[in-house]
Amino acid sequence: MDFAWLLQSLLNGLSIGSVYAVFALGYTLVFSILGIINFAHGAVFTLGAYLTYALAVGHFGINGLLADVTMPVTLPFVPALIVGAILSGLAGMAVERLAFKPLRKRGADPLLALVSSLGVALIVVNLIQYLVGAEIYSFPADIFGDLPMAVIFKIGGKPVAVRTIQIILFGASLVMLAGLGWFIGRTRGGKALRATAENADTASLLGISVNRFILGTFFISGLLGGLSGTLIGVSFGVAGPYFGVSYGLKGLAVIVLGGLGSIPGAVLGGLVIGLGEAFLPSDMSSYKEAVAFVLLFAILLIRPQGLLGGRLEQKV
Amino acid sequence: MSGFFENYGFLIVTIVQQALLGLSIYFPLMAGQLSLASIGFYSLGGYVAAIMGTHPALAPLREALGFWMFPLEWLGALVLSVILGIAVGYPALRLRGIYLALATVAFVQVVNVAVLNMPIAGGAVGIFGIPQAFESRLDYIWFFGPLFFFALFLVWRIGNMGRGLAFFAVREDELAAGAMGVATTGNKVTAFVLGCALAGVTGAMSAPFLNTWNARQGTFDASVTCLAYVLIGGSRSIWGPLCGAALLVSLPELLRPLKDSRMILNGVVLVAACVYLPQGIMGGLAALRARLSGRGGAA
Repeated sequence: MDFAWLLQSLLNGLSIGSVYAVFALGYTLVFSILGIINFAHGAVFTLGAYLTYALAVGHFGINGLLADVTMPVTLPFVPALIVGAILSGLAGMAVERLAFKPLRKRGADPLLALVSSLGVALIVVNLIQYLVGAEIYSFPADIFGDLPMAVIFKIGGKPVAVRTIQIILFGASLVMLAGLGWFIGRTRGGKALRATAENADTASLLGISVNRFILGTFFISGLLGGLSGTLIGVSFGVAGPYFGVSYGLKGLAVIVLGGLGSIPGAVLGGLVIGLGEAFLPSDMSSYKEAVAFVLLFAILLIRPQGLLGGRLEQKV
Repeated sequence: MSGFFENYGFLIVTIVQQALLGLSIYFPLMAGQLSLASIGFYSLGGYVAAIMGTHPALAPLREALGFWMFPLEWLGALVLSVILGIAVGYPALRLRGIYLALATVAFVQVVNVAVLNMPIAGGAVGIFGIPQAFESRLDYIWFFGPLFFFALFLVWRIGNMGRGLAFFAVREDELAAGAMGVATTGNKVTAFVLGCALAGVTGAMSAPFLNTWNARQGTFDASVTCLAYVLIGGSRSIWGPLCGAALLVSLPELLRPLKDSRMILNGVVLVAACVYLPQGIMGGLAALRARLSGRGGAA
């Protein structure tokens, strides 16, 4: 428990936690408008990582339909990240059209949306596997050009490593969070979005095209999901088409911890879980995957509305 | 006919086994509680049977009991599931709707990580070489079949007595039920624990059936698949879970000629079923029957 370890864990926790926050906001936005969880969000996260890989590296492995295919052009990392995220946003819109809108139109049990969105996730994940196989794809080490892998500081004689990827994770997440905050708080579109979240019927009476804003919300949600998938993929590798599942579940833990539907709550929840994982003693590291869910279970028992959620209303 | 059973016996037994998991979600749903915890209890029940069936320290007991070791394993899984179900149920059932569902998802994940870290559960490899109860896989219908009919009987019986009315009252309006003097928490926990116990015993029967047991038995995907059995079969009919399981278990087999792309189509069917049969197969059949008889009356 020395100062260098503390600083290193804080750094690791903040960088990964900020990506959790960005990813979880994709759930939050959809939940605040529709009141349901989009189980395809983890699949969009996976898709984002694969899309960016295709755009930036452009060469596939030995399995699947696209075995040994090389893309005609590749982009530098940052444009690839942006284009990958935008394409993921479009995939998010497709999720809304396939899994949510038809059910809304027919007035089906909201529970069914859990199953239909999971069905879409199944399609996406298996389509990826069909196309590029189940192998691990890693971004090459020189993806960021000439930047060094890490800068190592000595604090009290102990080394603290600031990895380049951590700075990129944290920086990109901050930019996304700031952009989203500005859009929702300061623009007309954001105002309409908040109105739709508050009460869709009233919003539509006031001339807001609710279906268009739902579609837009899914775009932003997919954008956030695809971006965070790329960021996680570039730091830990893309471990097959199913690698989004565990992050998808962790994202649920994040939004419940922070308070369902609360945007600052999702950010706080992401950071708490990221830090919780980073500060886990190394001899307990095999329990790392349980941290998010133990925290989730604990918060539900102590404060079901989450850290920043409003009071749960009892409908009479 | 014997050829049919040789080819499809495993499939039929699997359908009944999966329908049991669907029913274990149906129980809490009767009282309006969406719980995805079943698969965690299924996984734990399987581990109880796997450990009791293979642990060297229990060899004398297995020799003494012979076939009766299997019922003892079911009992072990039942006791563990009921105790753990009550322990998890009381705090978790203060939550409603999506919160309860997410709490039970968290429970399943914690169970998963916990068994992966328990040396007795064999880590990621799990436990294999679990003693078989029968020579043929098809004979396991003598395990799952009676349990299925017992569970079905329980659902039917509960639906026709005071307890069932209390469950339905809690499902329709918890506050009003409480105001009328229905013990809401007690009924919710009872419905939840019934589901846990059924899932646990199903797991204990499944470990010998599948011969190996590992943490992959208790994944999140599997728990949503169980929910899909109920919703796609029809959540308001006791035959719903069986219908849903029959469709979703046999679908990958029917689509086998499509090879690699069959899992994609599986997803397409799931989405299409949600969109076109929002009341499930049983609900769709009921609607069809009503329409046909309605036309018959008019003519």
